Order: sequence, then structure tokens, then C-alpha cells
Amino acid sequence: MTVDVAEPEAAHAGAVPPPGRAATGRPAWLGQHLGTAVLAGVGGYAFGHYLGNLIASGYVRVVTAAWNDVAIVLGLLFGILGWLAGIGAFNYALAKLAGREPVHADDPPNWTKYFRYSVEHKTVGMQYLIMVLIFFFTAGLLAMGIRTELLSPTTHIYGPGTYIEIVGEHGTMMMMMASSLVVGPLGNWLVPIMIGSRRMAFPRVEASSFWCFSAGYIVILSALALGGFPTGWTGYAPLQNQGSAGMDSYLLGFGIVGAGMILAGFNIFATIVAYRAPGLTWGRLPVFVWGMVTTSFLLTLATPTLVVAIYFGILDRTAFTELYVNAHGGSSYLWENLFWFFGHPEVYIMALPGFGIVAEIIPVFTGKPLFAYRIAAAGMVGVGLLSFFVWQHHLFMSGINPDMRPLFMLTTELISIPTGFVYLVGLGTLYKAKIRFEPPMLFCLAMYFNFLIGGITGVFQSDVPVDVTVHGSFFVLAHFHYTILGGLVFAFFGGVYYWTPKLTGRTLNRKLSIWHFWTMFIFFNLTFFPMFLIGLFDQPRRVFEYASDLTTLNDFASVSAFCLGASFIIFIVNFVWSIWIDPKRAPANPWGSKGLEWQTPTPVPPYNFERIPVVYADPYHYGEADAPPVADLEPANLAFASAASNGHRAAPVVADAD
Amino acid sequence: MADVPIERPWSRQAPQTPFGTAEEIAYENRSAETAVYIGGKVLIAIYAFLFAALAFAYFYLRSSNSEDLWRPGHMTAPTPAGAAIMAFTVAGGVSFWFAVSRFRRSLFGDWEVAGWVAMTLTLTAVAIQCWQLASLPFYPGRSGYASVFIAWAGMNIFLLFSAAFWTETLVARSLRLRRARAEEGGDGGGLTPPLFRVNVGAAASFWVFVVVVSLLFWVFFYQL
Repeated sequence: MTVDVAEPEAAHAGAVPPPGRAATGRPAWLGQHLGTAVLAGVGGYAFGHYLGNLIASGYVRVVTAAWNDVAIVLGLLFGILGWLAGIGAFNYALAKLAGREPVHADDPPNWTKYFRYSVEHKTVGMQYLIMVLIFFFTAGLLAMGIRTELLSPTTHIYGPGTYIEIVGEHGTMMMMMASSLVVGPLGNWLVPIMIGSRRMAFPRVEASSFWCFSAGYIVILSALALGGFPTGWTGYAPLQNQGSAGMDSYLLGFGIVGAGMILAGFNIFATIVAYRAPGLTWGRLPVFVWGMVTTSFLLTLATPTLVVAIYFGILDRTAFTELYVNAHGGSSYLWENLFWFFGHPEVYIMALPGFGIVAEIIPVFTGKPLFAYRIAAAGMVGVGLLSFFVWQHHLFMSGINPDMRPLFMLTTELISIPTGFVYLVGLGTLYKAKIRFEPPMLFCLAMYFNFLIGGITGVFQSDVPVDVTVHGSFFVLAHFHYTILGGLVFAFFGGVYYWTPKLTGRTLNRKLSIWHFWTMFIFFNLTFFPMFLIGLFDQPRRVFEYASDLTTLNDFASVSAFCLGASFIIFIVNFVWSIWIDPKRAPANPWGSKGLEWQTPTPVPPYNFERIPVVYADPYHYGEADAPPVADLEPANLAFASAASNGHRAAPVVADAD
Repeated sequence: MADVPIERPWSRQAPQTPFGTAEEIAYENRSAETAVYIGGKVLIAIYAFLFAALAFAYFYLRSSNSEDLWRPGHMTAPTPAGAAIMAFTVAGGVSFWFAVSRFRRSLFGDWEVAGWVAMTLTLTAVAIQCWQLASLPFYPGRSGYASVFIAWAGMNIFLLFSAAFWTETLVARSLRLRRARAEEGGDGGGLTPPLFRVNVGAAASFWVFVVVVSLLFWVFFYQL
């Protein structure tokens, strides 16, 4: 074959470097890694803070305040830049400025790769998995703090300021985590394999998305040290403008996580469009990948609005613009509009991946084809598109022109139709099925149960009269915990139990997994269902005191919440025990799945496939006697096999679960 | 089919699959080209939503006119500087358009010179924007207009830097390709890698977007 060679590049010719050594031949610890990122981040913060003091310490507004927002914002900004530079995120950009392609180093074949700027999608997926769990458990501990305070209506552990700081920190961290909960770990790890690709489209963009996400954790956590923020996760102005230095952490933290979300969506979208294996038409795409493509579409288009809203907030606090200050020509509603234009698609950024997971898993454990596959895909696309037209329902109570209410009530109700499509596809698959109640399936079934409650209460709230009645109460809180924790997080754990044998080559302990499921399911419902009642009795969110006749319900919810928190200890013990302490090799395809990802060896080798597979059918033909083969993993001739996949079955060597 | 050695230095994405049949390499190269093409379009969509949010802020505050403080006294940022920023940006876009047309005719010397010119014009626009920011006749919180203008200035600098960065990397890459060919004994001419051509096309689309944004916001801030 003639190849258009422009310049030699030796970097790709080498094999994987020996353990602990980078491709340059230097010892690995001399290269860029987490340690250099931390050092550069700290140095960047110090420099930025110094610069901010140099610039703004004489400003009247700074002199009269107890803190210097300019110094803190510049400190955090340079800290983030230092973090990214220290890990090596800018190396490629700098090399490109000189017209060079970067020198590529494969991951070292040991654990140190997880502390580096890896461009291997499976490594990035595992980095994300650990990071989202750190986010989740940190924010979960804060939730325990909230429920502890609410044990008594009058005896307090914290002051009201501290309480709202904890509530805000919990909410913001959870939303950041939930935005990337599936796309980050499972999306990055699985999508290339499920579409038969040997790589991501933009691996450096993918890696940068993770390191932005991890920087966000540190920045948002720093809010606690800077006095917290009084706004909750929604960051409403004008409270945002009045907040102390912790507000800067909120803005920078959410901003950098938003940047990471855009990068992640950009890369996954381009990968799915461009890198599908021959024969993998849109009509054969795994439904999990449909979830990823619609989610990444939302990530790339909705999140820029959040970034701009945050940019405005930072300008208000540092450059002394008044974009969100009504008294000076701005408007606090500007934040509300921009924030919710992102914020409502964000809800579906969280919901769609969960639906993708359960729709992927349910056929495996029912042994039936996925019911109405095309409806599921259409439903996801419909949800994605409609989600841009509903944001004003968040403003029903805060200043929307009353004439606009019916329109947004209608669009919000409309979105329940495609959501219902996706839901009914799952139920149709379950109909008359012989279900195998393995841990992943239990989580999926629980997701359907929880989401039914969360979804129906959501339909209630789309109606203006109900929204006006329950606005700002625990009813709303219970609703979104049912959709996000009860929906997405249950689906995520279903996915973790389902794919861990592929991700790690290890089997999680079944008994502990089932214990985890039942404790989480029972105590989740015991925690959040009473909150519907608490809300209907008018207890407001984000307030640390409440009417004494609600003590019993609150105590019940708090004790249940502690038990819910404890259920995750079972998961951690199971994970650590099964993966590291007493590892047991997982069977190649423990669930009997037809998915392409299960046809690869475990551990999945670098570049996933020795040959680019050719796909012949969607992976949901369970229980069909004449089920077509899913894929040919060793096509003798790619072009021939590709043509064959479009109708001419030419007796390929087929890898199939059956 | 036997594996062929990996020889795809013209593919800008790394890591490359270090093995594969000729067909697989060709397939992945086409995928890489599609990815760059799609990536270019998605990038424009991302920027479009960024600037749509800014335009929303402009019109929202303008129509709200809180406390009658949208634009007291019809305050305007220095018009000559604004016109110059817009003119340099449009000139950069035209220069890049010319560069791409020469590139498509394989006139690589012209392409590189016009590319450098486009980048220089863009950086000049950035410099004027910075100077204008430092010499505004109003302070940032004076009005809604003033606040949105400050926000626009920052975002415009970011947009122009993005265009300049993309242009610079393309021209720098082009120079290296030419030098590599010359070192191989040729005259530095010849076909450019397909992926590079796709990349140039994507940058051209981005430049169209930059020019449109520049014109639109010039109208918003100086003409309306």
C-alpha cells in the first residue's frame, strides 16, 4: 500500500515501554504526573493570588470587604491552569504551535498510569470511575451532615449559615458528579469498544475533560475553606453577588467542570459519529450508545450557556460589572434564564445515560430482544431536543410573564411523551419475561420503580397550580432525588455491577452485591418518600428549622438516610475486597451478553481489537433461534465484509455469545 | 492479510493504532477525517451557543432596561476602535479565505503567507480590543450596556485567540510538511495529507463563523 508520507515519526513505531518508564526512556516519576500537577497547581494559586492582590488590593470595594475576590479568582484560575499544565494537558497545544505532532507515550503497564495524563480511553474511564465515586461519597457525607442537623427542629449542630453552606456544597458536588457519572467512567471506557473502534476520536480532549473534572473537585471543595456559598447549587443572583469568597469557588468550580463536560461531550459525539465499525449503522447502534450520543449532544450545546452565565458572575465579582444587579441596569433573571437553559437539559444529561444503561442490561437478563428498539432511540432523541424548550418552568414562581406559563407548561408536559417511550420500551421487554435476578438486573428494576415515582411527581409539577403549591418545598427535593438518585444512580450501580467483570476482569461478590442492593433500595425509599409528605406539609428546603410536628417524619427520614449511607459501605467493602484483597477472575462473558464489548478478551488489550470488527446486527436478538451474528471479529477482508454486513451474509467467522 | 508497518505521520491524531491491515489503516484514516470534519462543526456549535448566550444577555438587558439604566445617554464604546477591531477581524477572515483558496490550488507558499497575514491581523484586532478595554469612557458597572460590553470584549478576545491559534498551528504544520518533503529530496511541493486538508476546511468554516460574530456584535454595540 502506498501511504502519503510527509515526515517520519518514530514515536508510533515503538512498542509499549517497560514498566515504570516513559517513552522518553526517563524514569516515569521524572515525567508529568499527579505530583507535578499538584505542585504546579499550588504554585499557580500562589502566583494568581499574589497577582490579584497586586491588582486589586487598593480597590475601594476590596478594602471595605473582608476578602479580595480578584485575588481568589485569579488564584483559583491560575491554580487550575497550573494543574492542567502540570499534568501535561497543554503539551499537545504547545507542540502544535511549533507544527509538531506530540511525542506519544503509551500507558505504562502498571497502576501509575492512573495518575498520569493518559490518552488511553480505558484508563481515562477508570480515572473517571474513581473520581465520580470520590465526588459521590464526599457529597454523600455532606448529606449525612444535613440529615443530622434535621434530627431536631430546634436543637442545632450548625448555625444557619453553616447549614446552607453544607446544603449548597452537597447539591453542587452531586450535580457536578451526576453530570459525568455515566459519560465519564462508562462512556469513555465502553463507547469505543461497543462501536467497534480501536480509539477515541480526540483522546487528548478526552483526557483533558477528566483533568478539568478532577480540578473541579478541589476547587468546589475549597469553598468550605472560604466561607461557603449561600445560594445552594443553583447559584441565584443577587445572592450570588452578595456571597463571600466561597462563591468564587462555586463559580470557578462549576465553570471548570462545565468546560470538562463540553470536552467530554465533544469527543464522545465525534467518536460515535466517525469511528463506528463497518456495518454498525445507526439502526444497529447499542442503545447505551444512543444514550451517550444524545447526552453528548446536550453536553456540547447546553453547557456553553452555563459557562457564559458563570463568566458573567465572575465578571460581576471581579471586574465590577453589574450584569446580575437590577439596580445598575443588570438583571438577576438573566442568571436564572441562562442557568436553567443549561439546567434543564442537565436533568436529561443525567437521565438519558441511566435509561441507556437499563435498556442495555434488561434484554440480557430477560433473554428477550429489546422491545421497540427504534422507539427507544427516537425517545432519547426526542427528549434531547425537547429539553431545550422547557427551562422557563423553573421560573414559574420567580418572575416569568404569566402569559408564558401555559406554553412552558405544555412543553414540559410534552417531554413526558418521549420519556414515556423510553420507559415503556423497558416495560415491554420485561413483559412475560423469565427474569434472572442478578445484581445488575435488580438495580435496573429498582430504577424503573423509583423513576416511576420521580417521573409522575415531575409531571405534576409541570402544571403551574401544583408547581405554585409545592415550590421550594421538600416535595420538589423528594422529586428530584427520586429521578437522580433513584434513577440515574441506581442505573449507574446496575452498570457498575454489570460491566465490572469487563472493566477489571474480576467478579464482585454476589452476596454482598445483593445486600448492597436491598439496603440501598429500601433505605432510599424510606429516606425520600417521607419527604413528599414533609413537603406537602410545607417544610421549605434549605432551612435548618422546621415545625415541631414534623419531627417524627424528619427523624424517620434522617435515620433512613444514615442507613442509606451505610449501604454504600457494603459497596465499598465489596469493591475493595473483590478487586484487590480476594480477587476472583471473572468469566469471559458472565451474563451471556451479545454486546460487542463482551466479545473482546479480558483484560481488553490496548487498541481493543486486533482487527476492526464488522457488525452484522444489533446485539439484542436474545432468544431467537435464527438470531443473526452480531459481529465478525476477524474479517478476512474488511471491504468485503463491510459489504456483506449490508445484506450479503458471506459466512463470516462470527463471535457470538451463543 | 499481512500487517503493514504504521506510516501515518500525516494523521494528526495520536495515539495511532500501531498495527493493522492496509484496509484498516485506510478505514481509520477516513474515520479520522470524518472526526475532524464533525469536530469542526461541533466546535462552531459550541461557540455559537456561547455567543448566543451573550446575545441573549444583550437583548434581555436592553429590553428589561432595569432602572432605566440600560444605556444612559446612549453611551458607546470608542467607535473608531470598535470599527478597527471589526475591520481587522474581517480582513483576517478574508485573508484566510484567500489562503485557503491558494491552498486548494496547491500554491503552498501563498497559503502560508496569507495564513500568517490572517493571524497577524487577528492578533492586531486582539491588541486593539485590549487597548480599547483599557481606555473606555465608562466604568464596567455604569450600565447594562457597559457590563455586556465588558463581557463581549473578553469573549471576543477568546474567540480571536482561538482563530489565531488554529491558523498558526495549520501554517506551522504546513511549513514542517514542506521542510520534510524538501529533506526527502523533493521541492517541498506535492499533495498535502488528506487529514490536513480536512483540517484546513474546518478552520475555514470556523473563520466564517468568526467574521459573522464580529459583524453581528459590531452592529449590536455600535450601530443599534
